[in-house]
Amino acid sequence: MSLFVRRQLPIAIVSITAILVMADYFFRIAATGPIVRDLQNWGIILSAFALGFGAVNLFIVHTRHISKQTSNQWPYSIWLLFMVALFAGVGVFIGPTSTQYMWIYNASYFALSATLYSSTGFYIASGCYRALRARNVQSVILLVVGGIALLRNAPMLAAGYPILIDIDGWVNSVPTTSAQRGIMIGAALGAIALGVRTMIGRETGFLGRRTEAER
Amino acid sequence: MSSLWKKLEDVPREVLYGLFLLAFIIPMLSPFGLPIPISADVRKWFATIDALPAGSTIMIDMGYSAGGEPELGPYAVAVTHHIFKKGKLKSIYMATSIDGVQLWETLMAEVKPEQYGAKYGTDYVHLGYMAGTETAMAKVGTGPMPSTDYKGNSIAQMPVMEGIKDATSFKLLICYTTGGDQSEGWVRQWVTPYKTPYLSCVLALMIPTMLPYYRAGQIVSLVSGATAGQYELLNKIPARGIKSADVISICHILIFAFVVLGNIAYYARKASEGSRKGG
Repeated sequence: MSLFVRRQLPIAIVSITAILVMADYFFRIAATGPIVRDLQNWGIILSAFALGFGAVNLFIVHTRHISKQTSNQWPYSIWLLFMVALFAGVGVFIGPTSTQYMWIYNASYFALSATLYSSTGFYIASGCYRALRARNVQSVILLVVGGIALLRNAPMLAAGYPILIDIDGWVNSVPTTSAQRGIMIGAALGAIALGVRTMIGRETGFLGRRTEAER
Repeated sequence: MSSLWKKLEDVPREVLYGLFLLAFIIPMLSPFGLPIPISADVRKWFATIDALPAGSTIMIDMGYSAGGEPELGPYAVAVTHHIFKKGKLKSIYMATSIDGVQLWETLMAEVKPEQYGAKYGTDYVHLGYMAGTETAMAKVGTGPMPSTDYKGNSIAQMPVMEGIKDATSFKLLICYTTGGDQSEGWVRQWVTPYKTPYLSCVLALMIPTMLPYYRAGQIVSLVSGATAGQYELLNKIPARGIKSADVISICHILIFAFVVLGNIAYYARKASEGSRKGG
């Protein structure tokens, strides 16, 4: 494959696509509108395809585990593939909002997912107790702010002591927002720099592994 | 004495977890009815929906996953009750989360729109899950709208879709989400280009990342799902949110008590060790 096909053509496609989408976002050019709509449709289709591709990849990886009988893994792989097949089968043949699918979803995935997320509350509580300790100046600041947040977020205390709402409001509006703005602006500048480098062919990670000659 | 302080400084996690489990279970089984203050943000959210003129259409993104349902679900239920109770509002749902359709089914089963006389296709519709997050938001924003609902039925003839072309057809945008891509994506894809008023309900831990948008006026109201009890009070329809407000109160006070205990024990141990060395 020539260097043009492997390097210059993909960079040209990325640059033209990025320019078209950005121009449509900022200037709403009538002539490019339909092209951008098509690109958006392609994006949605590709994202949906990626989900299917992920499922296929999952099958390949776990079938390999089962055939090799990888220790401490293969029984879980069987269970995983069984559940994937069950969800896919019921979803495709009966419907993803059918009573049967909803029952399986609510009884397994929903319950497990909610339990797993909720259980982090215990870890956070234990973590707060151990981490919020006034060992030095920085930890005192963390302790004070953490204490305010804890008290403010207890509805009973916030109702009894409205000053907690004012203090928490100030912490949110001033230090938190300003720090977060700094982080966001920094990240946005980084993203712009990465975008420009990609468009001009300086950033080529998306092209995959290259040979020495190509570099 | 030093060993006692040491024990209080490092209470075994089994004891902590046990106490927190009780703090969860007892108020859930027998709610105490502890006071709940209604925040300005929740009032603003409620007032925004209340102020919508009859016939307005709302775009609602079911952008949360099953893991976040216990936090965001009660708030979504309270708001959905409010929308249907107010009446004469059209709701067009879509899902940027892969679980969005199933969680919407659960939401509707809890709200029962038929009790308000609302009909699917006339007052509300679900466009289904759309992959691509921000690309999907941009696509729906520029139009045309998808041609089928989440079950594959044609929506062209549904009264709820009458006059809906693109983002400019919507008077309000609501997003319940567990993901930063969704909560921030709507600002970029709808609020900035179309100036659509935006109400955002996120996980409590996501609030700091969303504050810059809120303070800049890009979000009309930003709340965490944990404030569902406040919305239920305004709406006068008590449900899961008020019950969990008691749990939230007790757990936060319990954590604070343990933080104070840990610090007292830490300094007491240091003092007793210091006096022993000194003596």
